[in-house]
Amino acid sequence: MKRHDPVASVLSVWTGLVLLFLFFPLFVVAIFSFNESTISRFPLQGFTLKWYAKLFANDAIIDALWNSLLVATATVALSTTLGVMAAVGIHRYGGSFGSAMRAFALMPMMVPRLIIGIALLTFYDLFKVNLSLLTVIGGHVVMTLPYVIMIVSARLVGFDKATEEAAWDLGASTFTVFREITLPFLKPALIAASLMSFTLSFDEVVVTFFTTGNANTLPMVIWSMLRFGITPEMNAIATITIISSGLFAIVAEFSLRRARDLS
Amino acid sequence: MQTRLPTKLAFLAAPKAWLFVFFVLPMLTLAAYSFWRVVDYQIVADLTLRNYERISGALYVKVFLSTVKLSVMVTLLSLLIGYPVAYYLARKVRRFKFTLLMLVILPLWTSYLVRTYAWMLILGTNGVINQVLMATGLVDAPLTWLLYSDFAVTIALVHIYMPFLILPLYAVLEKIDPSVLEAAWDLGGGRVQTFLKVILPLSLPGVATGCLFVFIPSMGAFVTPELLGGTRSMMIGSVIAQQFGVAYEYPFGSALALVLMSMILVVTTIVLRYGKPKGLAT
Repeated sequence: MKRHDPVASVLSVWTGLVLLFLFFPLFVVAIFSFNESTISRFPLQGFTLKWYAKLFANDAIIDALWNSLLVATATVALSTTLGVMAAVGIHRYGGSFGSAMRAFALMPMMVPRLIIGIALLTFYDLFKVNLSLLTVIGGHVVMTLPYVIMIVSARLVGFDKATEEAAWDLGASTFTVFREITLPFLKPALIAASLMSFTLSFDEVVVTFFTTGNANTLPMVIWSMLRFGITPEMNAIATITIISSGLFAIVAEFSLRRARDLS
Repeated sequence: MQTRLPTKLAFLAAPKAWLFVFFVLPMLTLAAYSFWRVVDYQIVADLTLRNYERISGALYVKVFLSTVKLSVMVTLLSLLIGYPVAYYLARKVRRFKFTLLMLVILPLWTSYLVRTYAWMLILGTNGVINQVLMATGLVDAPLTWLLYSDFAVTIALVHIYMPFLILPLYAVLEKIDPSVLEAAWDLGGGRVQTFLKVILPLSLPGVATGCLFVFIPSMGAFVTPELLGGTRSMMIGSVIAQQFGVAYEYPFGSALALVLMSMILVVTTIVLRYGKPKGLAT
């Protein structure tokens, strides 16, 4: 049966407009990043890659980039490990204790980043902890953990406990069962969760702003540059950020989707 | 066969410990600081309500009110704009469903700093909108109220947080059983009636979760109002952040943050009463 549905047509146009609203600003940034002129305005003055070249010649930016990669990598390692442990633990418990634990673990999501950041700052201040990239990582893990737990928990819903139980009955230890059965099953969720926490950590400004010492991360450099006005290099950094996070998102979604289709 | 309790507990111990040290203890410290004071650049741990008395002054009450007003506006706009999108994706789309969903998810992965920056390019005096308006002769001089205003902050926050509303709403709308809708049709319900009496009430949990995902970060927004708000638009996030800069007013900033957090908690409790939230996967 094929009938013309006017509501569907109106909704599809609306959805198109909303997507335009979501993507147009990102396109503007990307277009200006290749623009010859130092001023970000139309008409475009011709194609150039010099803003990208200038970016890679800027030591402060390269240093910040390394710091960001370091923080994000450490955050991914810690938050995926802790997140998987939490999700598996919650899944095995089930019941009211499980859901209470889940609610507790997801709490940082319901707290604005600003408050997570300043709460950590007062905590470090009280115990006279020297601020550094290490103190940043502490906060980034708190911030990304709920996302890891949600992605892994969603995957665990489709997990057949009988496989685990069979392995136990055959004499496998809890650790072996986890390594040989649970972990491989969780692989697509792990890929998605790692990419997500990497991106969240790599892009974070607010939590970093309050918890870092002298070392700067890339978003912190962008943040301080932006307060002095718009430069064409900014368009280049922003475009690189947009494209890399976009690629990460696509890989993560495909990994989860393929897993769903297979099971 | 069930595993022994200790091995189960072991799985939860490490994440619990991390959250305790880096989340629970800091929140408690924040609460404690809000009752302390600074003397000669030293935090003095004696109980005082001075910080809270200061907040009750007209200036801070005004900033809190305008923050609530702006966040409610951002939430309502996101809901009005996002609901039809979630509805279309969940129930009406025929082709390219995965691609369209992907397109809604993609901006979520993009840095909020970069997205805020993009609006500076668009709304600025030399920005894209002003250039279009000038070129078409609709205005003679660039509009200066576009950037550094509540307008700029609102539009950017909607842009940044709306996808967080669409996804949980989509998840709830997609799960509505088609037989429920058929029943509504069979009982003579028209399109509008079916929507208002069946679909809308059933989607309330998604509406509640989605609205919170927009409202909470908007209330605590700091980067966006700082870059796009200028002096004309003041949100409490910027005021709180200032107290933790060179001013070294940690106790007062902590009290402001605690007031903000209690407002968020009250709203969350009320909103969640209207629907049990479902988690948002990715």
